Order: sequence, then structure tokens, then C-alpha cells
Amino acid sequence: MSSKIEAPRPRSIDRSKLSYVSPSAPKDREVPKPRLIDRSDVEYIRPVLTVLEKNVHSPVTPGVVHFPQFKITPTLEKAANKRIAQYPDDQRRSAVLPLLHEVQHRHGFISPESIEWVAEKLGIAAIKVVEVVTFYPGFRQKAPGKLHFRVCRTLSCAMGGSYELMGKLCELTGIDRGSADTHKDPISVSPCGNYSVEYAECLASCGTAPVCLVNDDFHEGVTPEKAESLITQYES
Amino acid sequence: MSDITYLPGKEPHEKEHRLIFKNVDRKGWDPKIRTYLAEGGYEMAMKALKMKPQEVIDEVKASGLRGRGGAGFPTGIKWGFIPPNNTKPVYLICNCDESEPGTFKDRYIVHQDPHQLIEGMVISAYAVGAHVAYIYIREEFPEAAIILEKAIADAKKNGFLGKDIQGSGFDLEIYIHRGAAAYICGEETGLIESLEGKRPYPRIKPPYFPAAIGLYMAPTIVNNVESLCHVVHILRMGGEEYIKLGTPRNSGTRIVCVSGDVKNPGYFEIEVGKVTFQELLYDMCGGPKDGRTLKAVIPGGSSSKILRCNETFQIGRGDDAEEMTFWQLPLDFDTLAAAGSMAGSGGVIVMDDTRRMSWILNNITHFYAHESCGQCTPCREGSTWMKKVSDRIEDGKATPSDVQVLEDIAYQIDGKTVCAFGEASAWPVEAMIDKFRDELVGETSDDNDTRSAERIAQEQFLSSVPQ
Repeated sequence: MSSKIEAPRPRSIDRSKLSYVSPSAPKDREVPKPRLIDRSDVEYIRPVLTVLEKNVHSPVTPGVVHFPQFKITPTLEKAANKRIAQYPDDQRRSAVLPLLHEVQHRHGFISPESIEWVAEKLGIAAIKVVEVVTFYPGFRQKAPGKLHFRVCRTLSCAMGGSYELMGKLCELTGIDRGSADTHKDPISVSPCGNYSVEYAECLASCGTAPVCLVNDDFHEGVTPEKAESLITQYES
Repeated sequence: MSDITYLPGKEPHEKEHRLIFKNVDRKGWDPKIRTYLAEGGYEMAMKALKMKPQEVIDEVKASGLRGRGGAGFPTGIKWGFIPPNNTKPVYLICNCDESEPGTFKDRYIVHQDPHQLIEGMVISAYAVGAHVAYIYIREEFPEAAIILEKAIADAKKNGFLGKDIQGSGFDLEIYIHRGAAAYICGEETGLIESLEGKRPYPRIKPPYFPAAIGLYMAPTIVNNVESLCHVVHILRMGGEEYIKLGTPRNSGTRIVCVSGDVKNPGYFEIEVGKVTFQELLYDMCGGPKDGRTLKAVIPGGSSSKILRCNETFQIGRGDDAEEMTFWQLPLDFDTLAAAGSMAGSGGVIVMDDTRRMSWILNNITHFYAHESCGQCTPCREGSTWMKKVSDRIEDGKATPSDVQVLEDIAYQIDGKTVCAFGEASAWPVEAMIDKFRDELVGETSDDNDTRSAERIAQEQFLSSVPQ
């Protein structure tokens, strides 16, 4: 085996191919159409793309069909105003978490439009909402399935068999967690969009391990054998 | 109170002393205000409102109540830290962000007896002079948030909250604030930042002691759910009577949550210091599962240092020093501190001889690596390194020096971070290596190669270049 490793070398840019963006091009000449980028041509920038692809997720998953698109409705406004009233007038920013919860409860996840809306509602810059959304694991930036399973993986539950429970749930719902990085991309959605799974950190019911949350319903003592009945009880 | 009956299979053990959990799992009990009022609910709040605030604080000080959230700081003394010349509004926050692994006491209080908490908050808010109080409840308790909202609305309807409570001239509003699944929000200054709508980066102390500079830079008292509930019982019994429960300096009752490898895990409300590990794990929890023996116990939530079941400890100093085996240790704040661990939040996690310690360690380091807030470097980087090294040990791919590396990282974090979370992530690792070094080293091998794939490729490349 040849052990020589070729370091990738940047290609020099062919200036003639860029002529169509040149401002000096005469106006009457037909402007050539932009070339479609051939992926094999840009081999050397692929590492950059993968970093981006790894970190920026599209909110769209197969589960997105189960949630209405974000829309400002009178009920949402009313609920938001009620939450904002909980805090002193000059401290409206405090309502970021409650408002995001209102949005997530109705629309399944936090979309860019909803971030704009929350920022506007509280009179703060959108980045201040974004920093909150990206910090807390409780806020999702992509659509979960219709049934979202949050399995506790912390010590007592892990000793009670929550890793096996997660494996069983994935097997039954056809989810391939593969090498999912649970920190950057915690949620895995099934191809049908009906189910999604996520590991949670301590759901505070260690005495009845293993436990999990299905949407807002709490289930305790869910041994791996009970995974099937856990799923089927929601089918109707 | 002998007429109280409990649901079958949920009866309290005879060694328990139930105050806070009196109504948990009780037959015919529900979280409605009607049920609570029929049992003399809100009487203590009424009694407190007729007293002077300082008298309430003195009563709590006299009771010797120590905070049940983890640090064990005396509640009455904390209340006394509000600056006397304060002109800003005072806030009271109930810390219901119960996220310490192994702890599950607050869950039952807020689900089954929410009015006890609200009554405790009314008394506490009156004592510290707060007119707005928040309950910071973790996101993982969606049902509890609804129950509490309902309970607050009911209490308001019955005149126990709102303006001019029962003609006393005292106003109090309680609001629910839901967190979003971040462990760091259990740290009081992190919680305050979160309540202000920011990332929960803990503040540095000093100067940011919440009692002086807290929520919106105003004096703020942050108390655990269980501590606030105890205030109701202190007023009922009187501080002098309450301090007789438990042992001196460790007064009252506390809820111990047992999970892991015992026959009957669950919650037990015991007098602090009156129950030993032998009684707790064998008499109350039924001992280890059949054919197994107990190996190690984490005594106060996963942050506390692990104890080996076959250890002996030197408790006390000088002439008072006595030798105690693990089984003789009473569950109180001071003895566990003397044994090198802490009573923490009362979450006892039990492990038997089938457990591999490297696996346990790996699970704990994963938790802390995930939950580190990332504000200060030792904790952010260190917790991730500890996770990676413990991954190797657990996989059997580590070398013996990795155990040393892990220990070094832990001691580099300890004491060098903004908040106690850094210590919380380092302590379990330090203790695990201290107590189970041989077992961990036994899973490593000198033959393993811990170089990364990049490193190997680099070295191969360099060796292929002609010199």
C-alpha cells in the first residue's frame, strides 16, 4: 500500500469562465447563463459544506405535515399578552421563554418567522431570541413527529434499561439514529413522519425508571418490553 | 393523624415521619383547593399574616431549617440577607427546576399537593416582603405547570393570593415560568438569568448574591420547593418544636429519593440524621435484588461523591472522632460532608455488583458534558474531555495513563469555575477514581493506542517523507 498522502491543492480559477459577471461586458452581447455547479469540480471546498450541513438544519422533516405553519392568530396574541403581563413593564424580555413555549406548543417547533414575531412582540433584537432558542434543549428547531418520544438516559433510567428502550422504539418506528450527534442534532424523525425520538436528561422520576415523555404525557416504568404497547396505545 | 389512610402498596414505612408528604399517595386526596382547605389549609398563611414579618423570619431561624435544594444553607439566614435599606421591590422565586439526577421529590409535591407549596410561598413572601413571586418549573413537568396554574387561580378566587389577602393589606401575585430543559437553570443565578429571558449563564459571586442583587438587579430569595413547604410546618409546630425533629444542626425531616438497584426504590420522608444507610437500604428499600450485593451508593444526587459500601469513615475530630462503616452513616448534612460526600438534594442512587463502574462514570460524564452551559472554559472544555476519556475507558480502548489524565482534568476544573456546576461535574469523577481506581485501570491496557485517526495519518505521512 502506498502510504503517500496527497494534500488537496486549491485549483486556480479560470478567469475566462467568469466573464459573464464582468461589468465591462458590452450590453448587446448575450450574457451566458450561469453554469450549474458540478459538485466534482468543487471537490476542495466540500469540507466547508459538510461543516455547514452538519450545523445548520432545515426545519423541514417528514413530521412537518402534522403541524400548522406559523401564523399570528388572535388566540396566540392573547396568550402572549397574558404571559407578557406576568413581568414588570420594563422587563418584557423575561417573556421570551413563555412566548417560545406558546409557539412550540401550537406549531411543533420554533421557525425563523416565529423568532421574528417573538422579537417584535418583546421589542428586542431577533438575535436575543435566537440565542435563547439555540441554548435550551427544550426548544426544537425542526419538526418532530406526531408522537415525540423523549427517553430519559440519565443514570437511574440507564441502569433500568433506557438505552434498550430507545433501541426498541427506533426499531419499531423505523428510525435510523445511526451516528446522530445527540448534542447538535438531538431529534430523529421516522420516515413516515409519525414518530420522533430524542434522549432527555433526567425527567425526575428516577424511582420508577425507565421513564419517558410522549408529547406531554408522562410514562413511568417503561421497560423495553413495554415499548410496543407504548406506541400502540396512541394509535386510533 | 392516625386517620389518614394511603393507597394500597404506597403506605409510608414505619420509620418515616411525614410532614411534607403527608398527603402524597393518600386515599381520597386530590390537588383541589377544596380538599386542602378541608384539612386546615391556608390556616398557617393566615396566622403568618397576623404576625410581623420579622417574627416569621425569627421562627424559621429558630427552626434551623436548612435548604433542601443541595447546598444545605440555612433558610432563615438567607432571608435575613436582604439589605435593610433596600428600596427596590423584593422577589421570591421557587426553584422547581428539579433536574439533579436521582432526585424526584418536587415532582410529587407539585403534582399532588400544589397548595402546600403556594401556602409556603405566601408565608415566605410575606416574611421577606415580596409582592411578586415566580415558580420556575422545569419544562419536563408540563402537567405540573397546568396543575399549578389551576391551583394559583383557585387560591386567587378564594382570596389567598392577589390584592389585600384576607384583609391583611398584603398583596402577592404568583406566576409560573416554565424553563426549557437546561440543568444549569437549577443554579440560582442561572435561574435568575433564565427568568430574565437570557441564556442561563450563572453570575459570579460576589457581587451577585441574589439576596442583594438578584432578579432585575433587585433583592431576590430563591428557595427550593421542599424548603418552602417546610415553612408551613414550622409555623404550625413552632420553630422550637420543629428543631426537635432530626438531630441538632440537622433539624426537621427531609425527603430521600432512592433509585437504582434495590427491591423497592421510592421516596421516604425521614427525620434528618435519624436513619442510617443500613435502615434506609435494607429495611425501607428491601435490600439488593436477589442474588446480588450492593457495591456503591451516590448519596445526594449525581453531583455528590460516590461512597463504597465496604468503606469505613473517620467521623468527627479529636476526642469525638469515631469510626463508622458505610452502613452506620446517618443521612444528614454534616455526617455525609465529614465522610467526604454531601447530602445534596437527597437523591440516593444505588449500584450493585453487576454494574461496571466505567459504565456508570461514562453515563455521568455524558450528562455533565451535555449540560455544561459553556460560559467558562474549565467546565465547558473539561466536561467534554472527561466524556471523551471516559468513552475510551468504557470502550476498553484506554491505556492506564488515561485514568490519571481523567483525574487531572477533574482536579483542574474543581474550584476554578463561575458556579458550582464545575465542581458538580468534577466531584463524581474524582470520587469514582479515588474509590474504584483499580477497577478502572483493570479495564485499560498498555497495548491500546489512544492516538486519533488524524494523528496516525499525520505520523504515517511524516514518516513517508524522505528525510
